[in-house]
Amino acid sequence: MTHPSGQRAAAARVGIDVGGTFTDFVLRTGGAAAAVHHKEPSTPHDPALAVARGLRTLLATARLDPADLADITHGTTIGLNAIIQRRGARIALAVTEGYRDILEIGRSRMPSSFDLHAAREEPLVPRDRVVEIPARLDHEGTPARVPDDAELARAAERLAATGADAAAVVVLHGHTDPAFEAALTGRLAALLPDLPLVSSAAVWPEVREYERTLVACLNAYIQPLMSRYFDRLEQLLGEIGVRAPVYIAASNGGSLSLAAARERPIETVLSGPAAGVTAATRLGAAAGTDRIITFDMGGTSSDIAVAVGGEPEFATRTTIGGLPLVLPVVAVGAIGAGGGSVVRVDEHGVLKVGPDSAGADPGPVSYGRGGSRPTVTDCYLATGVIGADTFLGGRMPLDAAAARSALDAVAAASGLDGRGAGTAAGDGAAAGDGAEAGNGAAARRAADGALRIATAGMAVELQKTLAQRGLDPAEFTLVPFGGAGPTHAALLAEEVGVADILVPAAAATFCAMGAADADLRRDLARSLRRPLDAEGAARLGEILAELAGQARAWLAGQGGDPVAEPAVTLAADMSYIGQAHEIRVPIAAEPGGPVPGADALAEAFHVEHERLYGFRDAGAPIRIGTARLAITAPRPTTPAPPVPPGSGPPAPLGERTLLLRGESVRAARYDRAALGAGATLSGPAIVEQTDTTVLVPPGWTAAVDPTGNLRLTRTRP
Amino acid sequence: MRLDPVTLEIIGNKLGALTEEMCLTLQRTSRSLYVKETADFACALAGPDGTFTAYPRGIGVSGFVGLEVRTAVEQAGPLSPGDVLITNDPYHSGGLATHLTDIQLIEPYFHDGEVIGYGWAFIHCSDIGGRVPSSLSPTNDEIYQEGLRIPPVRLVRAGERVPEVAALLAANSRTPDANEGDLRAMLAALRTGRERLAAVVAAHGADGVRAAHADLVEYSAGKATAALAGLRDGEYRFVDLLDDDAVSPVPVRISVTAHLEGGRLHLDFTGSDPQVAAAFNIASHAGSGRAHAWITTRVLALICTLDPEIPLNGGIIRPITVTAPEGSVVNATAPAAVGIRHATASRVNDALGGALGQAAREVLPAASSGLVVPVVVAEQRATGQNVQVLEPMVGGTGARYGADGVDGRDSGISNLSNNPVETVETEIGVRVLRYALRPDSGGPGRWRGGTGLELSFEVGSDDARLLARGLERLRFRPWGVAGGRSGAPAELVVNEGTPGERRLGKIDVLGLARGDVVTLRTSGAGGYGDPFDRPAEEVLADVRRGVVSVAAARRDYGVAVAVTAHGPAVDEAETGRLRTARPPADRSAEVGPERAAWDAIFDPAPVDRLVAALFRLPAARRHARRVAVYTAVLAALPAGFPAVAATPEEGAAARRVLAAELDRLVAETTDEAGAAGAAG
Repeated sequence: MTHPSGQRAAAARVGIDVGGTFTDFVLRTGGAAAAVHHKEPSTPHDPALAVARGLRTLLATARLDPADLADITHGTTIGLNAIIQRRGARIALAVTEGYRDILEIGRSRMPSSFDLHAAREEPLVPRDRVVEIPARLDHEGTPARVPDDAELARAAERLAATGADAAAVVVLHGHTDPAFEAALTGRLAALLPDLPLVSSAAVWPEVREYERTLVACLNAYIQPLMSRYFDRLEQLLGEIGVRAPVYIAASNGGSLSLAAARERPIETVLSGPAAGVTAATRLGAAAGTDRIITFDMGGTSSDIAVAVGGEPEFATRTTIGGLPLVLPVVAVGAIGAGGGSVVRVDEHGVLKVGPDSAGADPGPVSYGRGGSRPTVTDCYLATGVIGADTFLGGRMPLDAAAARSALDAVAAASGLDGRGAGTAAGDGAAAGDGAEAGNGAAARRAADGALRIATAGMAVELQKTLAQRGLDPAEFTLVPFGGAGPTHAALLAEEVGVADILVPAAAATFCAMGAADADLRRDLARSLRRPLDAEGAARLGEILAELAGQARAWLAGQGGDPVAEPAVTLAADMSYIGQAHEIRVPIAAEPGGPVPGADALAEAFHVEHERLYGFRDAGAPIRIGTARLAITAPRPTTPAPPVPPGSGPPAPLGERTLLLRGESVRAARYDRAALGAGATLSGPAIVEQTDTTVLVPPGWTAAVDPTGNLRLTRTRP
Repeated sequence: MRLDPVTLEIIGNKLGALTEEMCLTLQRTSRSLYVKETADFACALAGPDGTFTAYPRGIGVSGFVGLEVRTAVEQAGPLSPGDVLITNDPYHSGGLATHLTDIQLIEPYFHDGEVIGYGWAFIHCSDIGGRVPSSLSPTNDEIYQEGLRIPPVRLVRAGERVPEVAALLAANSRTPDANEGDLRAMLAALRTGRERLAAVVAAHGADGVRAAHADLVEYSAGKATAALAGLRDGEYRFVDLLDDDAVSPVPVRISVTAHLEGGRLHLDFTGSDPQVAAAFNIASHAGSGRAHAWITTRVLALICTLDPEIPLNGGIIRPITVTAPEGSVVNATAPAAVGIRHATASRVNDALGGALGQAAREVLPAASSGLVVPVVVAEQRATGQNVQVLEPMVGGTGARYGADGVDGRDSGISNLSNNPVETVETEIGVRVLRYALRPDSGGPGRWRGGTGLELSFEVGSDDARLLARGLERLRFRPWGVAGGRSGAPAELVVNEGTPGERRLGKIDVLGLARGDVVTLRTSGAGGYGDPFDRPAEEVLADVRRGVVSVAAARRDYGVAVAVTAHGPAVDEAETGRLRTARPPADRSAEVGPERAAWDAIFDPAPVDRLVAALFRLPAARRHARRVAVYTAVLAALPAGFPAVAATPEEGAAARRVLAAELDRLVAETTDEAGAAGAAG
């Protein structure tokens, strides 16, 4: 493509997703030009290197000048990996006297109740780097103990002696008056000018001392590492002449400026999966679907998320590296196998899929990289769902014979080779196909069985996830992405009763796309924990106004050109007094305007309680727990260009025999790139693209929509 | 196996998920404190024979996987579609219910007129009547004091709630509305199970599902047998003691002999004390030889440790058989009170661990801290009484071969979350001064036992009361193994270090004044291996972390730690010298001096004879007689025994009393037995 004029330059935006194996890139220029995709091998020792290298390649492919870029947004798992592997900074903790073991005790639960060898999670700060300070508030925010200068000097001395690179400061009930903890932190900082300090009430002023302490510690823990990465990234981008602002994708599905991410890196730790959900939600909205289930199937596992009405579901209690995180994040849950999940037979002859994964290295047997244990990907190959010569656009030839022989061993061990161990009953899976005997038939049966097990495993987890929210899968559209998502989507959909699947144009770089499209977003919270009466409602109003001020100040600091007014949403966590469980109640109020009175708030709570639990306790007193505010501001986006219509019915490339649920079928094979808008085809069919393969089983049709999505519809129940 | 290996795996997954979905439905629709806070509920699917064939993983109570619904179903007579049974009575449900507050619901699932499975759900309800609010008290001595007994009856008949049953339930609880909420949540869970099972039947056929019930149990039984076969065959005995029975100062003895042979395990509880006149009894229905949940929890944990993938169903306990004397504390008969049976289960766990550890020294840990104490404070407010749990206090886990115990956490009996202090202090007028690990409490060893916890709080109101049900291991310490030392015993102190200091033993209810400072220290868990073999750098790391003091490092580990300008460091020369004088790893060091002193008087052989003789008495007389015998012997010993050592003369005198009491009892019971025999 040439540069027709200067006007298109301002619209070029790049999305990047830094993963463990690959760093993915998407570049969109707007107008009629198609998006440019690129995958660069990741460089874990210096992740910014892969970003810079890939960006250079991407720009060359798109024939763009670095100066043409409007902005770059990227998601990264660097912080998450540092937490999981406990490779963060050497940090210390200064905490109220009597609470030295706040991280040791945690919430006192063991990860498994029926394992005599269970170990608890490794604390982020070892006990010898925790220093007690005689400082505390009472539960109403009144200072109960303030250290004098001598006491503080002793604490500072002990903090210095820990040799830590950074420290978190936590005062019991600190959330009730963040200024108290800030003042204490300031006094300590004056004594310890070289030690970066993080005040828990400044980072996340929510009640529950353990969880708040963790947010502060996690932030301090990954900050040096993330700062070094950001520095290096800026340096390398500068070297290749990129001047565009850089945004970082956030765990809440939004994005934030590089400067904001430096200050609060903890907000970015789950950005990768969140960006995929953001992209899927956008895709669904554009395609007129407002209830979607995302299905991200990668090498090691499959993740799902739910979005209703264009808004992904959020969670305020997730687990990272064995530790609870209370920041609001897009709720992404693992449901089972990935392409690299290992297929095996246990000592009692029962076929199992996972939980072990061959990962990317050595990977599936058919990759020929030394893997000896068959995986789900090998099963796709053996059943004919993917082709040995056409996988990933033919860039990666697969060794079908090796996969077959590994699966033969599985068949023999489970009795699926028709020779003994197992007996044919149930739904007839082991009933052999005589014509194929001795011709890989046993391996195909084992592979088909393994895929059915994997599908059933995912299906039950998906059903549980939706059941918890009282949702029916049949009302949803599945949006699959990741290397194996589109391959497995229809199998999963049939099992859970989903009849509509929307396969995006690019599956493997979908998270990068989501990053590029993400709004600026910040979530804020502050606990009040007081009865819902006139005074409580007034206090809630004050706190929400304060939070709104902070949110607007934050937004002003993010740069960029907002394309619309920011949206502010308000909510409060409330409960009947005595109840342990709080529920989140949206508050209808104009941004900055007055908050509804106590009666209206109470009614909103009763209604929500009734919706969730089927009853209200009209006479019971109510407590306001935590005030919440989210601000989102859309950034300019470049919509995907329309796909040109095809001419005539699509022409198959050929045919392949598939074994699906015990049935042998002949499937037509298509090239996704050759399908124009409006093209339709019927299953059984295989649609191959450069980054994945789409399976269209019998009883489904597939049609290309005007933006290039492939929409699969079930025509036969 | 009846099914092929693919279909079995698929149906197994679906049935397991079905039970988890039942739990999620229950959790979502319930408003009960016990469901939301302590997850004291469960759901499962049973096959037509009443054995659980699918059980949830990671949600609800794990330990009840070995229960069965058969007895309850038989008691209620033939069931029809749309019927739902309710029961809570251990004595009428074959041990399905284990105390009255656990309300059980059972629904038969039909297909083409035949039962294809049973859905089961239970919730620990807030109150089912009885002598005290919440229905549970250690000092209840008959089940009639523990609330309304509900034999298996229809709560729902042909889809309609039975109004008479509803009226009876409502009239017998202090919290009828909350209970009704629990019933609704359980009915919703049973409905979820019914719908999901119908979907599985539609996909795999009724015969597929029937075959799966049988195959899954067989599969788990095979895996459990394989796991147990890895242990050394033989006969292993272990005896442990509860400090007392809450109504007398006399300890309660738990004895178990494990016979292992080729993956089969027989547990013989002969030698355990007769049931007590308090609420510590377990109604295990062991007469059938069945391995009831509350007397096999540790075995279940062992099997799941050895084979973490084992599907959870009744097959897990198939290789286990049990002998437990009828009328004993581990196989109580009506009308024994059973409300606090988990305290006994905790000690049964220890005894099982001690016995099985002899068969698998490198698998089983030393004793865990062995207590669960919900620290409850009640204060008077203008609006009435305010009762709150401050923290559920546990201790640590025992050390094992290759690993230290876990400090301050123990999921042996239940895996409870604690309460944030920031919410506790909002709910009730106390100030929590300290909530911490308890240094120097973990039993020293090559691998150190987990530490206990310390909770210290100041009372901020007048007329407050403290309840600490489940306080144990105050007297007899959690034991170490293989030369590992015992953990520190639990302590309860009021106003420690002041002139008004009060050191307390077990309490029922304790009155407190404004400004009182209460300190509870839970016991530490036992150590594993000789502490003098613990590498000095590991001892140093514990000193650095502050969980072992410099003094204890020297005394217990023979490691001299010098505090230098750069922090603590090992004094190699001094350590070398200390470690040449290794103290003997005698039994007193392993089980603690109190237990050793106790056993020196109450030697296992005569006590076995004493227990056997007590069982020859009529059931109603056993408890009182047992207390009388012990009281007579203790009278010959110094006050405070066994914490206060006896002189050799006192010891000899006490043994003489015991021998005399025993002779008298044996003579009486032989006469009685003879008389009864003659009369019969």
